Amino acid sequence: MAIEKLVTVEKFKNEYARRLIEASLDPLVAINTKGKITDINQATVNITGISKEKLTDTNFFDYFTEPQRAQEVYQEVFEKGSVTDSPLTLRHRNGKLTDVLFNGSVYKDREGKIEGAVVVARDVTSQKILSQYSLSLIEASRDPLITISPEGKITDMNEAMVTVTGINRQELKGTDFKDYFTDPTKASEVYHEVFSKGFVVDYPLTIKDGKLVDVLFNGSVYKNDSGNVLGAVIVARDITEQKRNEKELLEAKIFAELATDIADIAKKKAEAAAQSAEDAVKAKQQFLSNMSHEIRTPMNAIIGFTKVLLRTDLSLKQKEYMEAIKLSGDALIVLINDILDLAKVDAGKMTFEQIPFKLAFSIAAMIHLFEAKAQEKNLQLKKEYDLSIPEVLLGDPVRLHQIILNLLSNAVKFTAKGAITVRVKLLKQDEAHVTIEFSVIDTGIGIAENKLVKIFENFQQESSDTSRLYGGTGLGLAIVKQLVEPQGGTIHVESTLDMGSIFSFTLTFQKTTAEAIYETPMDSVETKKQNVNILVVEDIALNQLLMKTLLDDFGFGCDIAANGKVAIDKLQKNVYDLILMDLQMPEMNGFEATIYIRNTLKSNIPIIALTADVTTVDLAKCRAVGMNDYLAKPVDEKLLLAKIVSVIKNSPPLVDVRETVRKEVVVSRCTDLNYLNKRTKSNPSLMVQMIALYLEQTPPLIESMKESLKMKDWEALHAAMHKMIPSFSIMGIGQDFENMAKKVKEFASHQMETDGIPDMVQQLESVCMQACQELKEEMNNIKKTIA
Amino acid sequence: MNINEKIKLFLVDDDAVFLKLLEIEFLEHGDFSIETFPTGESCIANLSRQPDVIVLDYMLSGIDKHAMNGIDTLDKIKAFNASIPVIMLSSQDKIDVAIDCMHHQAYDYVVKSETAFIRLQKIITSIFQYKKIEKQLNWYMERS
Repeated sequence: MAIEKLVTVEKFKNEYARRLIEASLDPLVAINTKGKITDINQATVNITGISKEKLTDTNFFDYFTEPQRAQEVYQEVFEKGSVTDSPLTLRHRNGKLTDVLFNGSVYKDREGKIEGAVVVARDVTSQKILSQYSLSLIEASRDPLITISPEGKITDMNEAMVTVTGINRQELKGTDFKDYFTDPTKASEVYHEVFSKGFVVDYPLTIKDGKLVDVLFNGSVYKNDSGNVLGAVIVARDITEQKRNEKELLEAKIFAELATDIADIAKKKAEAAAQSAEDAVKAKQQFLSNMSHEIRTPMNAIIGFTKVLLRTDLSLKQKEYMEAIKLSGDALIVLINDILDLAKVDAGKMTFEQIPFKLAFSIAAMIHLFEAKAQEKNLQLKKEYDLSIPEVLLGDPVRLHQIILNLLSNAVKFTAKGAITVRVKLLKQDEAHVTIEFSVIDTGIGIAENKLVKIFENFQQESSDTSRLYGGTGLGLAIVKQLVEPQGGTIHVESTLDMGSIFSFTLTFQKTTAEAIYETPMDSVETKKQNVNILVVEDIALNQLLMKTLLDDFGFGCDIAANGKVAIDKLQKNVYDLILMDLQMPEMNGFEATIYIRNTLKSNIPIIALTADVTTVDLAKCRAVGMNDYLAKPVDEKLLLAKIVSVIKNSPPLVDVRETVRKEVVVSRCTDLNYLNKRTKSNPSLMVQMIALYLEQTPPLIESMKESLKMKDWEALHAAMHKMIPSFSIMGIGQDFENMAKKVKEFASHQMETDGIPDMVQQLESVCMQACQELKEEMNNIKKTIA
Repeated sequence: MNINEKIKLFLVDDDAVFLKLLEIEFLEHGDFSIETFPTGESCIANLSRQPDVIVLDYMLSGIDKHAMNGIDTLDKIKAFNASIPVIMLSSQDKIDVAIDCMHHQAYDYVVKSETAFIRLQKIITSIFQYKKIEKQLNWYMERS
């Protein structure tokens, strides 16, 4: 019973094992030592399509596509006792093939004798498809791919490698990996790196073949299941294309740089050309301006001396010649002025001022200038002045003079008999403005109607005959037009041939409550003052002589100074009633001299500017620096006399400046703004900023210097001197003082008692104080020029 | 630094006159954007405005003894951003001052004198040339 039960249990166990085996989907085959099949499971039947009965006791290897390998497997099992993952292919009865991996091991009887072997065949068809798929992917890759053994031998490669090297697989296999590169040393480095680090990234090499392919290597080792390194897979990325792109890019970059350079050069050339064009324009203007001065100066002398000579005893013939000289000279001056005016208009340099002036006086003065000429030609000169015009107007009297002067001289020139009328009429006015019409009416030759439009153009006269008969350049009316229109006025002409012409223009002026600045009462010259002493500041000898002659004639005392510096010296020694000051002089020009006289000498002595070039208008600057009046060269002697008389009459009693001056002059100036001028390119606002900073910084430094010396605080003394030193050279304070400061500083750092130190500090204090004083004045002067 | 932008220059000096002169000279001779500071503290406070170069006076604590001196200021600048080139200025032509500055990573050391401005200008030019070369070199290194 017990045995029966045991047998039942045993049987049950066997059946269970059997069922398990039968349930396995993997074919399971038991073979004996002779290779005959002893048992199989259902899966084997399914895969071969042969029944269990038919299979049993047949040769195991008959069912494989490669019986030879199957036999090897079976022998291996019995030799080694086991076999793992041996690849074989099973053949179905109907020809279907199944790829399997064989795993098998022997089984033994109770005595340990080998009875047979059990082999399990794992169906790997799907795995094989997968690996074939991967393989095809690898083959499809355009990047060469190789596997190498730890010895550096090639174990496998893909088609791309074959293509790149041009050597077939069989020949490649087993050869040295490094032999296929231009640089075998570097190639073997790759392989060493891969095995030492486990990977390699972007290693550049060149594959040796017909074309030398540049590649980047990426690779890593692969290991078996137990972690041992089997070899390395290396992918070579063909970067020929990239390299070419890079090269092209680089070339493109170089080209671009070259192009930029060329463009730069072209730009510079263009800039240089523009600059030289600009320079040329500037040079032209400068030339004209210089020429005007250069021509006018001798003309001034010619006309002036002619006038002087005319007043001497001359024979009738001589007088006639002298008149001719004077007339030609006058004409020449007018011509020069006309050309210059037009040049200025062209250059956009014509500026218009807004200053208060008395219109009635201006008109009277203009008419007065032509009285003599009108008398010569026996013409009547009439004035119709509208008394409702406000007395003082805001405008540009100089330009107005020029306009009326031109029109009047034309009228006088082209009228043989009859009258010339200057009519000034108030057209309209509102609270702020007045519009005035000025007309010059003559009874001269007139202008043909078809020529009327053209007469305001440059170099146009009514007909070419006109210039032959009457002379002139034809510039006058063009200038008039250029002077009227920019001021917002209009000009027009009415004329009848042989009857006469009416030139009229309108100008709008602002009303003002301010006092007129320049008064030139032409009529009241009788009140000649005696013992008038005049200082003429003029650099050109001829002009000096001319002025002296004129002033002597007027009965005035006269002293000459060749430039501003000389004038200042003379002012400190002598007393004068008036200064006639040329503006353009060497050493110290008229502006600088006036600034010095007004600010440093604190003198109110009347100063009349002599300027050769009224049209460029330094008039604003003249007023700004404190001049009382101006006179245009060539000097009209009547105007000169009138101005001298009116200025002297109006000026307050003179203060003798000599006393106040002397005290200040004892101490020579300690500062020199040369350096600052150079550094700031004479930019006044920068200079003011610099000086202001100095004035702010220095007094505390002086205090600190004195205080620290007293307290024997050497460190503070050192610091004060340290900060003070740079300012000496900036403000042009002498090297002596700078050295002195350095000595004090040196002393402060070593504390070596030297006798002179307190004295030096004393001297430094006084020089710095003086510098502050001087700089304050300079700053105010500069500020004035800015304003 | 953008090439199109002006070089931003910080000038630091407690000597207002010298500072102004320097500013004027830089404005006259080059296309700079300039900010001036009378103390090291004010310079540090404005570092976030990203100066390209700083010109720094060595003796900042001369008058005000509690003021931050030049070397401390230099250290603070370097701590803020070590790549800002700092040129030291001093009226002392002393080797130990110069070495001190160099030890604290000053780019260069210039003695206040008549030629100081020219030296500064040269140094600044060379800083930017060097930076440009460095940039180009990096560019090529990255390409290969």
